Amino acid sequence: MKLHNAHKTCWNCPAAILKGNVDFRACGQSLEAIRRRIEREGLLIECARLPDLGHFEPTITFEECPEWRPTKYGYLLENMRVMILGIDGYLGWTLALKLGALGCEVSGVDCFLRRKMVRELGAHSVVPIYPIEERLKAAKEVLDIDIKFRKINILDREKLGQFMREVQPEAIVHYGEIPSAPYSMIDCNHAIQVQYNNVIGTLGLLFLMKEICPEASLIKLGTLGEYGAPLTGRPLFEGLFPADAVLRWRGREWSLGGELTPRDPVSFYHVSKVQDTFNIYEACKYWWLRSYDVMQGVIYGVHTDEVAADPRLRTRLDVDEWFGTVVNRFVAQAILGMPLTVYGEGEQIRGFIALEDAMECMVRLISSPPEPGQYDVVNQVSGLHKVSELAETVARVAAEFGYDVKIQRVENPRVEADYHPFEVVSTKLPNELGFTPKVPLEVEIRRMFELLTQPHIVERIKKVAHLIRPRTWWSGEKRIVETLEVYRPGTRRRRGFKPRLITDRERFPISKVEEVERAVEAIGDGEGGDGNM
Amino acid sequence: MEICDRDFDREVLKSDIPVLVEFWGSWCPPCQKEKYILEKLRDEYKGRMKIVTINVDRNPRVAYRYRIKCVPTYIIFHRGEAIHSDIAAKSEGQLREMIEEALRKIA
Repeated sequence: MKLHNAHKTCWNCPAAILKGNVDFRACGQSLEAIRRRIEREGLLIECARLPDLGHFEPTITFEECPEWRPTKYGYLLENMRVMILGIDGYLGWTLALKLGALGCEVSGVDCFLRRKMVRELGAHSVVPIYPIEERLKAAKEVLDIDIKFRKINILDREKLGQFMREVQPEAIVHYGEIPSAPYSMIDCNHAIQVQYNNVIGTLGLLFLMKEICPEASLIKLGTLGEYGAPLTGRPLFEGLFPADAVLRWRGREWSLGGELTPRDPVSFYHVSKVQDTFNIYEACKYWWLRSYDVMQGVIYGVHTDEVAADPRLRTRLDVDEWFGTVVNRFVAQAILGMPLTVYGEGEQIRGFIALEDAMECMVRLISSPPEPGQYDVVNQVSGLHKVSELAETVARVAAEFGYDVKIQRVENPRVEADYHPFEVVSTKLPNELGFTPKVPLEVEIRRMFELLTQPHIVERIKKVAHLIRPRTWWSGEKRIVETLEVYRPGTRRRRGFKPRLITDRERFPISKVEEVERAVEAIGDGEGGDGNM
Repeated sequence: MEICDRDFDREVLKSDIPVLVEFWGSWCPPCQKEKYILEKLRDEYKGRMKIVTINVDRNPRVAYRYRIKCVPTYIIFHRGEAIHSDIAAKSEGQLREMIEEALRKIA
């Protein structure tokens, strides 16, 4: 039994020096000198990590290479240099600790924009977070992780470039974007701020990667919301149409396999993510960069082993209408004794994933770089749920903690279908990257109650209670939504469409995944081994 | 089946049966997807038409030899000669048509 990335070769490895050795005809870098050498000697490359190899054929697999070590998430480059943009955020900080614990050399930048935006809206993270200096110190003291941090705004290309030259990242995780649909819909200034920061920040990054680290992979956070919810009921494929998709028109047909699927973003924030998608797609094509565009479901939760190791290591958790995601808001409302606010009919279906599962997916993606020039997309989601069902689940878990919770339907300030079909394809993470979701919804919600019911956190939730109910309308109107109906959990008839998540697990049965994990457990995270499972 | 510069002559030019070669690139999303269809057809045409793929960047010598300018490019070889070529990604039906046409031609 092999790890999911055992078969990958130098072609996938960021340490392989391709530029100057490979004839990049596709992107106009064909050089006569390279061509003549290849015709004479064959295609040979060099390795940045193992210069003693000289010029060699790029056929060494991860399983064979001494630089790639087995972990329970696949082979990982020893001391892999991973740079996280937006390292101070909800996901960035959590991932930094996880990668550090796996032995990666983690670096990161942040300009604390998220802290500033939340503060300006009068809100705060309900889980206390510490200044970055304290966080870094605690990471060293508690987990023995050194993180190289710089305060840099990613729009400052000169400083970012300088840091990238210094670190020479082998993978870049891009979390450095403003992550809120309602924030982008507050007014024109906020829409422009979101689009400028996200689109221009990413575009600048792509140019820097081309110059400084063209072999590094870019793992860029997109969102499932880029696709919208097509009313035709067409599945949300993983960014590109599958092989057997065909367009028929006037008696003729064309293959659609590999073409980008339509996007139908649902806010100006989502539009910025779609623009990123196109910019990254083009950069891969023009410059042989490689990227995973991660269409992540709505994320929720508070737990990973690393952030739970010390209060100073906790990651932020927002519950306000702009930055609080739906499950996080519901848990806060339950604790406050406020009926959970379901927008409209509550029949909207979305994809979700727990924080801990999302972090595992990211590690697996980092461990398995795409091919040169490959733009690939994964739908990172572990379950599909209706908003009203989420409210029911939160109410059920809340009851275990002694909270008697009601649910309220409120006016929907967004422009979205209340009833719609929803079918999501997510086959790559389970079948090609060996990922199995480990954290059921109820389990993570229970963890949230355990943390958020601590008295000092309850006090912090109370202080932002007035910011949970939405007042940002997609129409531009500014007024707090009205309640349409209040009901007790379990009393409302279920209607609407049944969501469908297509994972094709039969191609890679769970038993095999578990077998691999058991085998690797014996090795331990980041520890060496012979890699032969 | 993925082949390389080194085994091109043996697998393609010296093959006893006709061979459909798809020249592809890792930076070409339609090429990545086309592999699934080619795998399916490989089983279906076993013994009548061999179907192989070759990456143009990893195997530039063959790509130079056949002047591959765009991917995917399909060339069908029979007894060492290219008897048909086409470009742009195809649907399963179109690939099947291409193979059948070539088989008719050499029958």
